[in-house]
Amino acid sequence: MQKINNEQIEELYAFTRNHFVEYYDLQTELVDHLANDIEAMWEKQPELNFEDAKNAAFKKFGVFGFLEPIEQKQKAMGRRYRGFLWNEFKAWFTLPKVVFTLLIFVIFYAAFSSVYVKYFSITFYLGIAIWSIYRTIQLNRIFRRRKEKSNKKWMMEEMIFKQAGGTLLVFMSQIHTFYNLSESFTLNAYTVAGLATVFTILFLVSYISFQLLPEKAEELLNKTYPEYAL
Amino acid sequence: MHKKFMYICFMSNSKLYKGSLTTIILKLLNENDKMYGYEITQKVKALTKGQLKITEGALYPALHKLEAEGLLSVEVKKVDNRLRKYYKITENGEKETTNKLDELAEYIKTMQALVNPKLA
Repeated sequence: MQKINNEQIEELYAFTRNHFVEYYDLQTELVDHLANDIEAMWEKQPELNFEDAKNAAFKKFGVFGFLEPIEQKQKAMGRRYRGFLWNEFKAWFTLPKVVFTLLIFVIFYAAFSSVYVKYFSITFYLGIAIWSIYRTIQLNRIFRRRKEKSNKKWMMEEMIFKQAGGTLLVFMSQIHTFYNLSESFTLNAYTVAGLATVFTILFLVSYISFQLLPEKAEELLNKTYPEYAL
Repeated sequence: MHKKFMYICFMSNSKLYKGSLTTIILKLLNENDKMYGYEITQKVKALTKGQLKITEGALYPALHKLEAEGLLSVEVKKVDNRLRKYYKITENGEKETTNKLDELAEYIKTMQALVNPKLA
C-alpha cells in the first residue's frame, strides 16, 4: 500500500500554513488527518496523484476550510490560559503568599489614606504601566528568539508571551478614567479600601502574566502539549 | 413511521446532529481506550453504514472544546513518519457521557412522540 513520504508530510505542513494555520500544534493534527485520508484514498485508487488526493481531503473540511478548527482552538487555548492565570492568582490568597498580598494591600491602603493620595496613585499606576511596557517588549523579543530557534509556533506559547500585552492594553486604556477619578477623591475609608484592592489585584495580575507565567513557560507548554517534548 | 423519523433526521442532518456530535464523540471514546480524529470519522461512518458522516470542519472544533473543558485528555505518539494526537476520555468525561446519553434518549423519545404518537 502506498504511504505518504517525508517530503509529502512537509508539503502538507506547508499546505496548512498556506491555509492560515500558523500554529504547529494544530498543523500537526491536521497534517495527520490529511495524510490518513490521502492514504485511505490511495488504497481504493492507487493511481490518484498526491495533489488531487490532498485537495479532495481538504474539501471535506467544508467551505470554511481550517477556519473553524482554528477559531475553536483559539477559544479552547484562551480558556486554558485563563485557567493557568487563575490558578496562580488563587495561590496568592493562601498561606504563605497571602502574607505578601496583605502587605501589598496595606502599603496601597496607607498610601491612599495619606494627603498625597493623588501623587501616590499616579506614581503607582505609572510604575506598573512602565514596568508592564518594559516586560511586553522583553517578552516579545524572547518569543521571537524562541520561534527562530525552533521554527515552530505554539498557540499557548504565543499566549504566554503575548497575551500579557493584551491585558496591558485594557489596563492602559483606562488611564483616562483613572485620572478623572483621582481628581475627585474623597477620603472615605471605603473608597480607599476599594482603590487599594484594585491596585493589589492589578499588581498581582501584572506580576503573574508578565513574570510568573513566562518563567513557567516550559512547564506549562509541556502540560498543554504532550508532543512538545518530542 | 420509524423510517420517516430516520429520514427527517438525516435530511437536515447538519442541523439536527450538530448538538449530538459531542455525545457521539464521548460515547465512542468511552468505549474505546483512545482514538484520533480521522479514526473517529471513519468509525462513525462504519457504525452508521455511511448514513451519518462527521464533517472534518465540525469534528476538530468539537474535540478541542471537549479537551478545554477537561472531558478529554490528549496523548501524542509518533506513527510512521508523523505525529498522531490521540484523545482519551477523562473521569469527568465519563460522567458527562452518561448525562449526554440520557439527554439524547429523552430527545429521541420526545421526537418519537411528536412524529409518531402511537409508538410513544
